[in-house]
Amino acid sequence: MKLLVNGFETHVATGGKEFEKKLPTVLFLHGSGLDHRSWALQTRWFAYNGFGVLAPDFPGHSLSNGAPCTSIEESGKWLSDFLDAVGVEKAHIVGHSQGFLSALELSKLKPTAVKSLTGVGTAAAIPVNPMLIDTAEHSPTKAADMMLQWGFGHQTQMGVSATPGMQPIAIGRQIMRNNPLATDLQCCADYSAGVGAAQLVTAPSAMILADGDKMTPIKAGLAIAEQLEAKLVVLRDYGHMLPIEAPKQVLVALREFILGVEQYECGEVETLGDESKI
Amino acid sequence: MGRSSYYHPDTIALHSGYVPESDHGARAVPIYQTTSYVFDSVDDASSLFNVEQGGHIYSRISNPTVAVLEQRLAALEGGSGAICTASGMSALFTTFITLCSAGDHIVSSGQIYGSTATLLRHTLKRLGIETTFVSINDQVALEGAIRANTKMVFCESIGNPGLEVANLPQISSIAGQHGLPVVVDATFAPPGLCKTIESGANVIVHSATKWIGGHGAAVGGVVIDGGNFDWAASGRFPELTEPYEPFHGIKFWEEFGPNALAMKIRAESMRDIGACMSPNTAFLLLQGIETLNMRMKQHIANTKAMVEWLQSQEQVTWVNHPDLPSNPSNVIARELFPDGAGSMLCFGVIGGRAGGGAFIDSLKLASNLANVGDSRTLVLHPGSTTHSRLTHDAMAAAGISEDLIRVSVGIEGINDIQADFANGLRSAQRAAESQS
Repeated sequence: MKLLVNGFETHVATGGKEFEKKLPTVLFLHGSGLDHRSWALQTRWFAYNGFGVLAPDFPGHSLSNGAPCTSIEESGKWLSDFLDAVGVEKAHIVGHSQGFLSALELSKLKPTAVKSLTGVGTAAAIPVNPMLIDTAEHSPTKAADMMLQWGFGHQTQMGVSATPGMQPIAIGRQIMRNNPLATDLQCCADYSAGVGAAQLVTAPSAMILADGDKMTPIKAGLAIAEQLEAKLVVLRDYGHMLPIEAPKQVLVALREFILGVEQYECGEVETLGDESKI
Repeated sequence: MGRSSYYHPDTIALHSGYVPESDHGARAVPIYQTTSYVFDSVDDASSLFNVEQGGHIYSRISNPTVAVLEQRLAALEGGSGAICTASGMSALFTTFITLCSAGDHIVSSGQIYGSTATLLRHTLKRLGIETTFVSINDQVALEGAIRANTKMVFCESIGNPGLEVANLPQISSIAGQHGLPVVVDATFAPPGLCKTIESGANVIVHSATKWIGGHGAAVGGVVIDGGNFDWAASGRFPELTEPYEPFHGIKFWEEFGPNALAMKIRAESMRDIGACMSPNTAFLLLQGIETLNMRMKQHIANTKAMVEWLQSQEQVTWVNHPDLPSNPSNVIARELFPDGAGSMLCFGVIGGRAGGGAFIDSLKLASNLANVGDSRTLVLHPGSTTHSRLTHDAMAAAGISEDLIRVSVGIEGINDIQADFANGLRSAQRAAESQS
């Protein structure tokens, strides 16, 4: 669906079903240079299983208009404005990589809006090599290649795809080359408030990490997981691009956690479960 | 490095799409000679059917062995996805029928494979899809043929059998100005010879039966989604941008973006038409692909030697290959095919049709048959076989003369091919002499 946020048209994927505010909402946030298609499969499951799904393209990305946010703090504010524009008061927030940093800022700005918080392939800070940012400014395609080569795990590099017949690297390359990758990477490089923002998170949280993640090494992900006392899922033999390279495993972890939070809120279960490794 | 993989093409040809499976560690790709796949639960089944997760349901739609071949071919061409089909012709039909409906229009090169021409001229016309044939490198003719209801520009990267190389950058520029995708049958230009997508193609079709297999043991085809066409910006493709009712109103472009076309073909054409590739065929084609790059080097080397040798034979009246300056598309051929524009060549012999017949009938090593791209050298007289259903004018437009002999140069020892052809040329000479 299309939505005006701060005067600019925003594209919001809704998982193939019309968004219904009365259902529990899951907000999916993409990572640097990507768009809503990172979550193509997971959003469809939630939309067809009793949730209202929102997967926006951040401003200036793919199908959304407007200038891209120039800081993580700004993107957190934009998310707050976005939820106001949709009229959603509370949502399960799921962020991949940079999307999780934006979610932390949203959580700081509007804690009541966060029903649960899930980070996928991420950490409290995402340092970026200045050479990569410089490359992204001058040659977005080359920078996209550097990220995709570094970001996807071994199986995807070997051409294996969770969706039969498809090639995730080519898909990612096509999306990233046209998006404001340099701005996104600069936002990540500049952001240092993640640990502080995480201290303010009171909602239940989960971290879905990969042991082969070279962009946000698992050590950093485990640290924020510990700080948040998050439910932890570690996926073996995958890289940073988890929503795309391991869509089913990510979906299984997401639905187990989010359904658990819903059941916990309804008093159907007493705990939210422990960490697991898939 | 390509658009889909950071490995060398030789490595992609051997590995892409498969890592040894965990149960048995089979190094080669196993043949999943299987029709259907057990669901974990009713919810899991529902999830697969609703494209909420990847996976296999039924082998008409997708199959594990076929998927490896698809992923390998997509990686070799730099595409975002690939769908394998029962043959090259079914790959073409699938592409046309996915992008066109009754009332739509295609602009096609006139110099194409005879069966493709028949499909466009007769079968698709019967379904309400019209085609205008043009000389594909004629910018004015191409632009003039585009209508409001045109859905694509179609050509072969190297025309069959006239061997005209399509000027893909120029065609792509014109098509792009009108919001049209360029669909290229790249059968004569197997992966590695030409960067077809980077040159301007948006969709590639191959008859995998040919060089990709190379062994002449399996018939198959593939459609490769270049992932580089903006179906929404074009405004001509509600099939991909508007809700698709049979899948709960899915919008393929919005949900899948660069692989929207491949997903649509999988969801619709494989379901409805069912022209799927068998797992055994996929396995055989995978065996061929493993040596594709090495074979192509030998194909090209032999072709260069044959072109030179034929030009020096007194019984040969003319020789055509895109690498020759006399070929009208030689300049663009050198640009798009830096290592050599394929292993097809054509030539004429003295004695016209009778001389050609005598030549072909006397060959012992080369085979007279209706195929190309085999590792063995193949010859054919298109005027009486593959293109025989075309009218005189259509044959002329396709660049076919009565004396034309089409050669698919194999990878045998070059001296043996030349000795066989020398014998054939002596027979042609005797036929010519008896005529006079």
